[in-house]
Amino acid sequence: MTQLDDMQYFLANAWWLGLGVAMLLYIVLDGADLGAGIFGLVVGDHDERGAIMAAMAGTWDANETWLIVAGGILFGTFPFVYGSAFHYLMVPLAFVLWGVMSRAVAIEFRHLASEKWQRFTDWVFGLSSLTVTFFGGMSVGAVLQGFPLVHEAGKLPYYAGGAFNFVSAFSIWTGIAACVAVTLSGVLFVRARFEKTERIRQDAARWTAVIFWLAIGSVLVTLVWSAVLFDWARDAWFGRHFWAWGLFGLAALWCIEQVRRDTLRDRDLAAILWYNAAVLILGLGMLVTLHPWLVPGTWTIRDGASPQVSLITFTMTMGGFLPVMIMYNWYQIWVFRARISKLVAYEHH
Amino acid sequence: MQPDPLSVLISRMDFALISSVHILFPPLTIGLAIILFSFELAWFRTNDERWYRLCRFFEKLFIVNFGAGVATGVTMEMAFGILYGPFSQAAGPFFGQVLGYETITAFMYEAGFIGLMIFGWGKISRKMHLFATFNVALSSTLSAMWILVANSWMQTPTGIEFKDGMFHVTDWLAALFNPNVFAAFPHMLLAAVELSLCFVVAVCAWFVFKRREVQLFIRPLRYSLVALAVVAAGQIYLGDLLGENVLEHKPAALAAMEGQYDTYDANGNVNTAWNVIGWPNKEGTGLAWSIKIPHALSLIETKTWNGAVEGLNTFPEDERPPVVLPFYSFRIMVAIGGAILAVALWGGWLSYRRQLCASYAPLQRRFLMVCIAMVSLPYIAIIAGWWTREIGRQPWIVYGMMRVEDGMSNLSVGLASFWFAGFAIFECAVIAGTIWYLLKVCRNGPDLTSPVAGDGEETLGELDLPEGPHAKRPEYIRPV
Repeated sequence: MTQLDDMQYFLANAWWLGLGVAMLLYIVLDGADLGAGIFGLVVGDHDERGAIMAAMAGTWDANETWLIVAGGILFGTFPFVYGSAFHYLMVPLAFVLWGVMSRAVAIEFRHLASEKWQRFTDWVFGLSSLTVTFFGGMSVGAVLQGFPLVHEAGKLPYYAGGAFNFVSAFSIWTGIAACVAVTLSGVLFVRARFEKTERIRQDAARWTAVIFWLAIGSVLVTLVWSAVLFDWARDAWFGRHFWAWGLFGLAALWCIEQVRRDTLRDRDLAAILWYNAAVLILGLGMLVTLHPWLVPGTWTIRDGASPQVSLITFTMTMGGFLPVMIMYNWYQIWVFRARISKLVAYEHH
Repeated sequence: MQPDPLSVLISRMDFALISSVHILFPPLTIGLAIILFSFELAWFRTNDERWYRLCRFFEKLFIVNFGAGVATGVTMEMAFGILYGPFSQAAGPFFGQVLGYETITAFMYEAGFIGLMIFGWGKISRKMHLFATFNVALSSTLSAMWILVANSWMQTPTGIEFKDGMFHVTDWLAALFNPNVFAAFPHMLLAAVELSLCFVVAVCAWFVFKRREVQLFIRPLRYSLVALAVVAAGQIYLGDLLGENVLEHKPAALAAMEGQYDTYDANGNVNTAWNVIGWPNKEGTGLAWSIKIPHALSLIETKTWNGAVEGLNTFPEDERPPVVLPFYSFRIMVAIGGAILAVALWGGWLSYRRQLCASYAPLQRRFLMVCIAMVSLPYIAIIAGWWTREIGRQPWIVYGMMRVEDGMSNLSVGLASFWFAGFAIFECAVIAGTIWYLLKVCRNGPDLTSPVAGDGEETLGELDLPEGPHAKRPEYIRPV
């Protein structure tokens, strides 16, 4: 590794923000698809399960791509972290990958399959959504704990620990918490995408009432547990600027309250947007808490960044492409915004 | 710490598996997107409904293939970090960044427009839809360009220096425009187009053979055959160009591809003979037997009667790539290139004789059967081409700079096996599912009855409208 100069350090920080935004967009956008898939596991009606997939058919690919973009940014800008963290997370990432593969295949093949196979693809889709969410959440928890590196002369620091070091009570908990939070996102999505008279929408509405409180509980437990477990979190949250963190918390709470109000009034789109706002606030709060660490205790932004990031490539990709990507992602969601009925065939959405 | 040799072997087999499976899907996505755009453009300009029907039909095949491509592609990206952690760390400053550009400027770009292209019929205007299809074609081509930039750099690394276990970029332009990429990218792009044309030819030929919708499928069959003749000829030329590039920059790889062990014969003359086929001896110092054509090697590679081509024995023993696999995969690729050209010319001849019109074409049973069977050939050729390229690079991961074993993650045998077994199962399921559903879409045939999607109008499909006094008519349904 080479010491970065000031300009490189600035760029590394900007890319770190880009990485964070890509990750959060993935959680917000594909989170709804994943959650709807998990919700599909408890939906008994064959056509309704199909309609869930039809509802996301036009956008799931673009949503999921934010994960790939995050991976690309990590590989390009923080290659030292990429190589070591992925080695550390090999087992959970294997499950995430198998889940991603199964979901893609299930959603693309369902409308062509016979009814018997459709039942199978539905089951695969739900289960793989759950797998991706659980192991994805577990990976995040495992990253927050950090991992040991081996430093050898003339070589880059690398991971040489066991394959199961990622397993801990905390990481198992973050996996579960991710499933709860994502399921809430999923039921909110189902509410917003189906005609109000549809039975599946009413089922989703009933589920929201329960999952909403479960999700709040999960977030609180995660925050408290993080504060107990990690020095970096405690130092930030209860340090000199505790009032700033308090504002973050209040803003998130206010958004969550709006979610509750809007779900009670059947304003489904507003509820999703408030939910996403809460996720973004909490996520950005976590990012700021972590700064300047990329992986707490293991990789700082300075150490993990590639010294080759140039201003030109940065402005070309971030300044030019990210906003355009967000724009057409939005346009696409707009085109497919209409509420649908369970009888709508896959191909028409 | 050096990784266990057995786990290195398993990890390498795993990477060979996932990259060989992935390469089956994107070429069809790239080429078919271009073909879909030309069909849609034809519909846009002529208003001939047949082009629209073809578009919708081939789009169904496109979706099946695309899903499989995404599924196997995500695996590839992650596998670099997991199986080749040290390589990802060392090469990240260039290689990782190029893959990063690919995800941002091409992959995301494609994913955005593909949803509009597939599900946007009737929801957006015809012009906007045509624009979406154009962007899918352009972005998937861009994607291939970035991937080939990254891969070519591994073949001919320029613009960088290796220091403290890391590749430092000294010259971005030299690294991006490395000597290999100008030959390799066009070769790959044309391979994608060639494969897709073969695919369209096979599907059309099947319908004509079965005498189903002959009027619809005869036109794309004829056009695709003519295009294929041009593309296949161009591909042979580009392949030869790439060969010259390999000779110049990766002589050991070329020597392995051609089974050329000695630069000079025992009597001191230049060894000019091209080995048509052969098999290496046990010691690995020469061919135990072979069929040769004198002067052919010099003519092909150096374009001179007696030009010398460096033999494998001039390289240190631990820097020689394996011979059998690149030697035969190269020959298979070349043979297939020739065979496809021959079939395309045959089709061109029939077309010229006016025997490929709706009334006569179904009688050309033998020709149609050959066209259908031919669809497997470009797939084999593409895999063979990649094997030639990647095995020829051995034992280097970055040619001449970083050896494969230095770039591998240190995995236990158990873990490497767990990965290998898991991905083998999933990838086989993806291949089986894709083939099954491609065939099923073909069996079902094109949809000729549903209304044509117009400007911003929703097709009704088989939708049952809600009944009763309280049911509101959904606002998105408009008459066609």
